[in-house]
Amino acid sequence: MSASRTGQTPLRGARSQRARLVSRLRAWGRHHRAMALDSLHRLVRYPLGNVLTMLAIAIALVLPAALWLTLDSARLLDAELTESATLTVYLANDVNVGQAQRIHEAVTAQPAVEQTRFITAEEGMAEFQHSLGLEDTLAGLETNPLPASIVIQPDDVAPAAMQTLAERLGKMVGVDEVRLDLAWIERLRHLADLGRRLALALGVLFGLGVLLVVGNTVRLSVESRRREIEVVMLIGATHAFVRRPFLYSGAWYGLGGGFLALVLLRLGGQWLALPVASLAESYGAAFSIPSLDVTGSTILLSCSTLLGWLGAWLAVTRHLASIKPG
Amino acid sequence: MIAFEHVGKRYGGRFEALAHLNFRVARGEMVFLTGHSGAGKSSLLRLVMRLERPTRGRIVVAGHDIATLHSSQVPFYRRQIGVVFQDHQLLFDRSIFHNIALPLEIQGMEPRESARRVRAALDKVGLLHREKALPIELSGGEQQRVGIARAVVNKPALLLADEPTGNLDPQLSADIMALFEDFNRIGTTVMVASHDLALIARLRHRILRLRDGRLVGDEGAR
Repeated sequence: MSASRTGQTPLRGARSQRARLVSRLRAWGRHHRAMALDSLHRLVRYPLGNVLTMLAIAIALVLPAALWLTLDSARLLDAELTESATLTVYLANDVNVGQAQRIHEAVTAQPAVEQTRFITAEEGMAEFQHSLGLEDTLAGLETNPLPASIVIQPDDVAPAAMQTLAERLGKMVGVDEVRLDLAWIERLRHLADLGRRLALALGVLFGLGVLLVVGNTVRLSVESRRREIEVVMLIGATHAFVRRPFLYSGAWYGLGGGFLALVLLRLGGQWLALPVASLAESYGAAFSIPSLDVTGSTILLSCSTLLGWLGAWLAVTRHLASIKPG
Repeated sequence: MIAFEHVGKRYGGRFEALAHLNFRVARGEMVFLTGHSGAGKSSLLRLVMRLERPTRGRIVVAGHDIATLHSSQVPFYRRQIGVVFQDHQLLFDRSIFHNIALPLEIQGMEPRESARRVRAALDKVGLLHREKALPIELSGGEQQRVGIARAVVNKPALLLADEPTGNLDPQLSADIMALFEDFNRIGTTVMVASHDLALIARLRHRILRLRDGRLVGDEGAR
C-alpha cells in the first residue's frame, strides 16, 4: 500500500514538472512572438530613419558581395581558359615543307600530346594580318617573316607538365622556339587569389561596419527606452527579457539591409550587363555578369540577419550593465 | 518574513546610511517604517528589494539570504515581492491595463489568465472602468492606485511601499492605507515607509522608527 503510494508520488511530480516546463516554453515562445512583432511594429512606425539604417547596412554588404561574385565568375572563366591552354612550337625559318611535315608527325607522336594543328608560314601570316587588321601594311612586305608553327593541346594542362613537354619539344631538331601561354594564366590565378583575399578582408571589415551601424542604432533606442527598462527590471524582468525586443530589432535591421543589398546587387548587375557582354564578346569569351542564386541569397540574408542580431546583442549587453533600476 | 541581523549600509565608504539594524517581521504582519527624511527608510526598503546589498550583516527575506543571492536569481526574487513607489514608476506609453499586466507578462503568464487577474486587481483598487486609459489621464491618487494594483497583481507574499501617500491629500491617503490593510487582512505581509505620523498613529499597527540610520523605536509589536 505504502509502496504503491511512494511509487506514485514522484511520477505525479515528474508529470507536473513536465507540465510546468511546457507552460514555461509556451510563455517563452509567446514572448518571442510578441517581441518580434512589437519590434517590427516600431520599425514600421518610423520608416524613414529605419530604412536609412538598413541602406547603410546594405551598402556595407554590397561591396564585398559584388567582389566575391566577380571572382566567382572569374573562376569559371579560369577553368575555361585552362582548357584552352596550348603550347606553340615555332619551327626554324630554314626548315622546308617536307622537314616541317616530319617534325609535325614527330610532335604528334609524343605521348603527352593530345591534339595538334599545323600552321604554315602563309597561314600564320594571313591569321596575323586578319587579327590585327593590318592587311595593307603587311602586304607591302617582300618576304614572310613568320615561321611555320604547330599549336599543341597537351594531355595534361598542369603548369609543371606543360613545362616539361615544352622543354622536350624545344630540343627537337628544326624547332626554333616553344612558347608556353602559361604565364598570363598564372597571373590571372594570382590576381584572383589576391581578389578573394581582398573580398574576405573587405567582408570582415564591412561586417564590422554592420555591427557598428546596428549597435549604434540599438544603443540609441535602448537609451530612449531607459525608463521602461528600469521599471521592468524593478518588477523582476531578467536581462534576457529586457534584451529580447532589441535583439529582434537588430535582426530586422540585418534582414532588411540584406534584402536591400540583394536589390542593389541586382540593379548594379543589370546596369553593367551590357558593357560587360560587349567586352567579353570582343575577347571571344563567354562571360556575363553573375547574379546571386538562391543559395547565395540565403547565405547573404542569413549573414546580415546574424550580424544585426549580434550587433544588437553587443550594444544591449554593454548598455544594460550601466542601467541600475531604482 | 523579514529578518535583519546586524545590518549596516555605508555609501562611498564614509556615509553610514544604516547601522546596527536588528528586527524581524512575521509573516502576515503589517509594519510602518517611519522617521524624518534621510533617516534611512528608503535605504532599508532598497535593501529588502535587493536593489543594494548591505555592507554588513545578514538579511533574510522569505527564506532567502538575499545578500548572497546570485545576480541572475535577483529577478526571480523580485517577482515574489510587490513594490509601490512614491513616484508610481508607471509606463506612460501604455494603458492602465498593460501597466498592471507587466509583472504577469514578465512571468510569462498565459494572456487569458493574466487578463482575469489584471481585472481583479483593477476592481480591488476601484479603477475597473479606467483600464483603457493612459496613466497621464489619471489623477495622482488614481495613479498611485494603479501602482498598487500592479504591485499586488501577482499575489506577492510581501508588499513594500515607499511613501505611497507622499503627494496625496489626507482623505486619499487614508483610502490608500485602507487598501494596504485590506491586502494585509488576506495574509499579505505589508511594510509601508511613511512620514505621515498622524495617519499611521491612527491605524494601530506596529511602527519601526528610524533616526540617522538606527532603529530607535519598535512600538505595537505583536
